[in-house]
Amino acid sequence: MRLIHLKLAARNVRRQPHRTIALGGAVAFSALVMALISGFVNGMDLAIQDNVTLYSGGHVLISGYTASWSGRLQNRFADDTVAKTVESTGSGIRTVSSIAQSRATVVFGTREIQLMLRGVDWSRDQLYHDSLILTGGDWKGLEDSRTMLMSAQTADRFGLAAGDQVIVRLSTASGQQNVTDYKVAAIYDDGAAGGMNTAFVAFGDLTADLNMKSDEQQQIAVFLKNSAAAEEAAQAITAGLSAQGFTVSRGSASNAGASGAAAPQNSSTGSDSFVSSITGGAGTAVSGSSQGGGRRLSQGEAVYYVSTIKELAGEIGSALGSIRWIGYAVFILMLIVSATGISNSYRMVLLERTKEIGMLRCIGYKKKDVFSSFIWEGILLAGGAALVGIVLALPMGFGIGFIPFNPHGDFGAALVQGHLRFAPTLGQFLLILVFVTIVAIAAVFLPARRAAEVVPVEALRKTA
Amino acid sequence: MTDIRSVKMKFLHARLTSKLSIVLFGLVLIFSARAQGGPPRGGGGGPMGGIGLPLGFLEQNKDYKFPDDITKYTATDFLMLVRRTDIRSSFYNSDMSATISMVTVSPDRGTFANKEQIFRRDKDDAFLMLMVEPESRKGQGMLRVENNMWRYDPTSRKFTHTTLKDTYENSTVTNNDFRRWQRSIDYSVSKLSTGTLGNYKVIIGELKANNDEVPFPYIKMYIEADRKIVLKIEEFSLSMKLLRTAYYTQYVQIGDSFVPTVQIFQDGLIPEKRSQVTYTNISTKALPDYYFTKEYLERVSQ
Repeated sequence: MRLIHLKLAARNVRRQPHRTIALGGAVAFSALVMALISGFVNGMDLAIQDNVTLYSGGHVLISGYTASWSGRLQNRFADDTVAKTVESTGSGIRTVSSIAQSRATVVFGTREIQLMLRGVDWSRDQLYHDSLILTGGDWKGLEDSRTMLMSAQTADRFGLAAGDQVIVRLSTASGQQNVTDYKVAAIYDDGAAGGMNTAFVAFGDLTADLNMKSDEQQQIAVFLKNSAAAEEAAQAITAGLSAQGFTVSRGSASNAGASGAAAPQNSSTGSDSFVSSITGGAGTAVSGSSQGGGRRLSQGEAVYYVSTIKELAGEIGSALGSIRWIGYAVFILMLIVSATGISNSYRMVLLERTKEIGMLRCIGYKKKDVFSSFIWEGILLAGGAALVGIVLALPMGFGIGFIPFNPHGDFGAALVQGHLRFAPTLGQFLLILVFVTIVAIAAVFLPARRAAEVVPVEALRKTA
Repeated sequence: MTDIRSVKMKFLHARLTSKLSIVLFGLVLIFSARAQGGPPRGGGGGPMGGIGLPLGFLEQNKDYKFPDDITKYTATDFLMLVRRTDIRSSFYNSDMSATISMVTVSPDRGTFANKEQIFRRDKDDAFLMLMVEPESRKGQGMLRVENNMWRYDPTSRKFTHTTLKDTYENSTVTNNDFRRWQRSIDYSVSKLSTGTLGNYKVIIGELKANNDEVPFPYIKMYIEADRKIVLKIEEFSLSMKLLRTAYYTQYVQIGDSFVPTVQIFQDGLIPEKRSQVTYTNISTKALPDYYFTKEYLERVSQ
């Protein structure tokens, strides 16, 4: 590259500011939209992972299912070795805690609501203490027996305050109906927790309600120091448990159980049941024959599922993937329109500058010099415009982040404290810049080649 | 002469062969038609079978002699009485179809009504239910077959697995209420007493579930001994809290069966919440086997 080409290109870009602004504006707008979309999708992705960690109780979940007398898998297990094996698998683990949960109906007066009820060992909890903001009551109140931490949304709906008593109806681990009482000890800001409306109670209280023995649990939640390491941690845990002789599968029970649901069940009660999801609470689970390649499990035999927040975020994550692809499609359409504009403009430029090109050729400019100056002009115009678009996207993106959204809406789980998170990366910006530049080169290529082909004498004669 | 006899014999053989062929052809036609045309007359593919029923469930109860005095009932007598109500409310010798009208009153959601068409084959513990009203939900269906249960949504064209203990359409009715009764299998008698319910003398039996997979661990049944029909059932949680009360206020006799045509289910935790289920147009006409398939539910829902 010769500096003269760049200088000439820069001068040409400045020569007609109106046209430059019109062309550059279109390119800048495309880059701005793309930068905003990629930044927000990234932010939503991170928010979903944080919120799913809150929903599920950890970055990696190990769920245990034990075959009952009827061959059905019940979401419960009693084996200390599992927790010990999990703890010994890696240094990246922050906490390992037992979790019990159930889909429950909370009744207050004549009103009722269905929500997830999770049993947490408050003495070992760090996740919820660090993440949830209390709007009523306090953490100390939750140390009492049969107390509940409820979301503000649920409390508002019922007109509840700390100290009120509610009735909870749920299914035990084996699928029987049970009803118990709880006192609301604290209320948390669900808007700051991705719209989550899970209610929390002491682990021991919930296992008693689920009619589980004191040494039984449903899940082990692993909270990692770095959430990005969830996949590696899950693999290490799966390998560790397998080495100990446990039957372990990766992914959620709902996937593995799909075949089991279709399998005939033996119970005379006929209360056939199915685990709707790994976080779908207690209750009888899939048929025991769903495991081990169709082998029926004997009574007391247990199987384990190891899942990560990435897998649990699956559905919302795939929706985000769609948004990302829609963004790409819009970006490409905008670029095509801009590229057509650039190409047409440079054809006009070619006509306007025919005499000038002829003059340049006469004083010693070669064909490739003319070609290069045109290409550089396109690169400067489009690259500069893309840069402007990206720079403008930053204040806009962070500004949009201040707008409050409904945390209980469809995309509540993708919000951080009711706001969109703008989390762009340098790599994405560079990609946008490179892509825009390539498109600009492609758009200018033909006019540049035609400009290079101009015969100097003919050009001077025609424009004299 | 020998030739004439031989010709006659040949002629007789030919006639016999032709007649046998016609008979055989007729038999083939009949069996083919039966194979394609669904269950035999009377429905259900043969009498007195039963998926999930203990051996002798139906037969043992036939000639059981119940005490004349309701105060003399023992636990065994009462369990046999429960079994009698189970058998009489079901259709083991035929299929059953009916129209179900359901009205639910809820303090939260107000009053809403829907209408369904139900097809039952109690022998196989199978049923198919199709929503007819409201118009917006027409075509939604539920199928129970081979101990599995699915819901079908024609809009998304998807089957989702459901369970017997799940409530139906946010009402106080569970999916189990549409199925055959089999309380005498799931429960054992723990306490007996007598009393009156309105004008009727009833035996009150407190029952405990036989295993931990029965949705309601405890129930209290009020059975009118004279007609041997259930009038009221209270269902309790593991913590012995009343979860639901079912009232069977009207019965219709169809053949040997006594069908509770009006059933009222009142929530135990929110007494203002209740549902009334009414059975009309009850028929015991045989139903084709394909009614109890996912393919049919999918097709008929369109």
